[in-house]
Amino acid sequence: MTKLTRRSMLGAMGAAAAASAFSAIPAWAADRSIRHFWWGNPERDKRTFAVIDVFQKANPAIEVSGETIGWGDYWTKMATQTAGRNMADLVQMDYRFLFEYVRRGALLPLDEHIGKSLMIADFDQGPLEGGKVDGKLYALNIGSNSQVMVHNTRVFQEAGIDADLINWTWDDFAKACETITAKTNGAVKGSDDLSLMIETFESWVRQNGREFYDADGKVTATVDDVASYWQFWADLREKGAVRDADKTVILDPPIAESGIAVGDTAMSHYWSNQLVGIQAVAKDKIGAAMVPHKAGGKPGQFIKPSMFMSLSRDAKDTDAAMAYMNAWVNDPETTAILGLERGIPCSPKVRAALAPNLTEVEKMSVDYFEAIQSRVGPLPLPAPKGAGEVRDAFMRVGTDVVLGNAQAADAATAFIEEAQSIVERAQ
Amino acid sequence: MRRFFARNAPAYVFLLPWLIGFFLLALGPILASLYLSFTRYDMVNVPEWVGLDNYVYMFTRDRRFWKALDVTFTYVALAVPARLIMALGVAMLLDKGLRTIGLYRAIFYLPSLLGASIAIAILWRQLFAADGVVNQIMATFGIQGASWITNPNTSLYTLVILAMWQFGSPMLIFLAGLRGIPRDLYEAAEIDGTPRWRQFTRITLPLLAVIFFNLVLQTIDAFKTFSSAFIISNGTGAPADSLLFYTVYLFNEAFKFFRMGYASALAWVLLIIIAVFTAVAFFTSKYWVHYENERD
Repeated sequence: MTKLTRRSMLGAMGAAAAASAFSAIPAWAADRSIRHFWWGNPERDKRTFAVIDVFQKANPAIEVSGETIGWGDYWTKMATQTAGRNMADLVQMDYRFLFEYVRRGALLPLDEHIGKSLMIADFDQGPLEGGKVDGKLYALNIGSNSQVMVHNTRVFQEAGIDADLINWTWDDFAKACETITAKTNGAVKGSDDLSLMIETFESWVRQNGREFYDADGKVTATVDDVASYWQFWADLREKGAVRDADKTVILDPPIAESGIAVGDTAMSHYWSNQLVGIQAVAKDKIGAAMVPHKAGGKPGQFIKPSMFMSLSRDAKDTDAAMAYMNAWVNDPETTAILGLERGIPCSPKVRAALAPNLTEVEKMSVDYFEAIQSRVGPLPLPAPKGAGEVRDAFMRVGTDVVLGNAQAADAATAFIEEAQSIVERAQ
Repeated sequence: MRRFFARNAPAYVFLLPWLIGFFLLALGPILASLYLSFTRYDMVNVPEWVGLDNYVYMFTRDRRFWKALDVTFTYVALAVPARLIMALGVAMLLDKGLRTIGLYRAIFYLPSLLGASIAIAILWRQLFAADGVVNQIMATFGIQGASWITNPNTSLYTLVILAMWQFGSPMLIFLAGLRGIPRDLYEAAEIDGTPRWRQFTRITLPLLAVIFFNLVLQTIDAFKTFSSAFIISNGTGAPADSLLFYTVYLFNEAFKFFRMGYASALAWVLLIIIAVFTAVAFFTSKYWVHYENERD
């Protein structure tokens, strides 16, 4: 999916013509090429290709090709390329998969480049920590984020929802869902049905005082955690206050098909950096609320590196790759284009430069980030091998509950058993 | 030996491109996968020999393996007869010697050409979605349709219908087979006043030797169904594993969960299953396939 713009095409042809006309230009100058692979959405892709253009202009000797695909297919393609020893030089990495890829030896540590080609000394050190495995930096944080309940502000106002959206509880949330559905006569349901959203469920478990996985990578979430979570949504489903079941069971839909974008629902769960992308496809103005809290419970939400950039084992020209990576987090023009779309940058300088020019939705996401600081818990340990498969199992077993083919309690027992055996087998 | 070569050399020359492709591109990977099926291999580190572990796990502990077999066998049992009946029916309609026969043949063959493509699978998903065309048509008759694709109870049937619609290639073979049945048999039957239905069961079916060929080919094909199931289920076998075709499961084990050794073992089990089915068809064929020239 290499993007060949007319300009880069002409540029390449021009360079080739120039190279043949003036033999003084060394032939290898045009041979330096790097590939950058990321999961994206239309907004992110637009910004990233713009960044590639900027980098090309500043470094005509390096040829950068961008490859992008949606989250759903990204990890399949990545696994195939990893197996074929054909990974892109620079890959976008996720906290959930970082350990798996490092353990498989697919990524190179960045430590030797720090201070030489990668200038990150003045960055916030906390957010950088998330990219370390066994004390070595394998992944560079390119933005931090947190969970968010995105909501439609127009519908909220018309339905007269006045809950404190930072401190609210699951009860407040359920009431809001019912009120919205009633006030709109069911035209807009209160929320997407998050039964299959393991990210929200992880917050639920933490609110009960546990992590999903313990330090040894064992599953510590209990059958009760799962059963009560699925029952919570089953009750809302019965009242008709959440999105229809047949929409819910479509897994990992693109954001343009989410209830918020289509206008079916007034709320959905996302990551805070996605606010920019969602606003781009939503008709009404969106707002940010926290994942509801458990009354008297522990903090469930956390702040995490939303995305990393990693150097792959298959990178040939590491100098060129590191120059590109460094520009990503430091170059003023590049960071201005990227804005907050991938999350809040860890460079204080970049944040200061961005502050005066933020769009409305970007400003909202920064305000949200400030507001939640005191209400979040610590970053959970990286997920063990097999976590991706557990996520699949959660959606698979949950589908039966959503469609009414299984009771929440029975399905919860089945899921926990399956999750335990998946993790055990993956080690 | 020399006579064998003298007689068959031209055939082998013509087979050469295929033979070269087979030995260079297929045989190596096939043998490698046999070896890998006895290993634990994550595609990055060196394969680690585990003996029969993969096979033991598959048959004793892997519930999704049995689910995948269940889905695939159900599909084969429904889709193969459905497609063959459809193909034979259309072939008999087209066997009437119409002048525009060529055009009709092309039109009916078209879905088979498109069938394996991604676009058709996506189209199918749209057709059978909750607000899809199928439900809109049913709504005009006052029937409230379900969401066929996202309901585990009905999702498999939408794929059976897709298989039925792609009857083109067995239909062409049936057509050729029908042409091969001597007309004098029908004429004799007409003179004796044999009803049409008995002509079909007593003459057409027994002498249509290509049924056997079609059955074997379509069964193998159905076992290997992948792209339509992969696209319609978003690559996961969803909803609730109701579209977990054997090949989809195999692909996920290999390319999503990095268990290349286990996936190789799955592939060999599938090969053996298909081989058994084909062998049974071959050995029983003498009881139900009749070749016209056997009378010689």
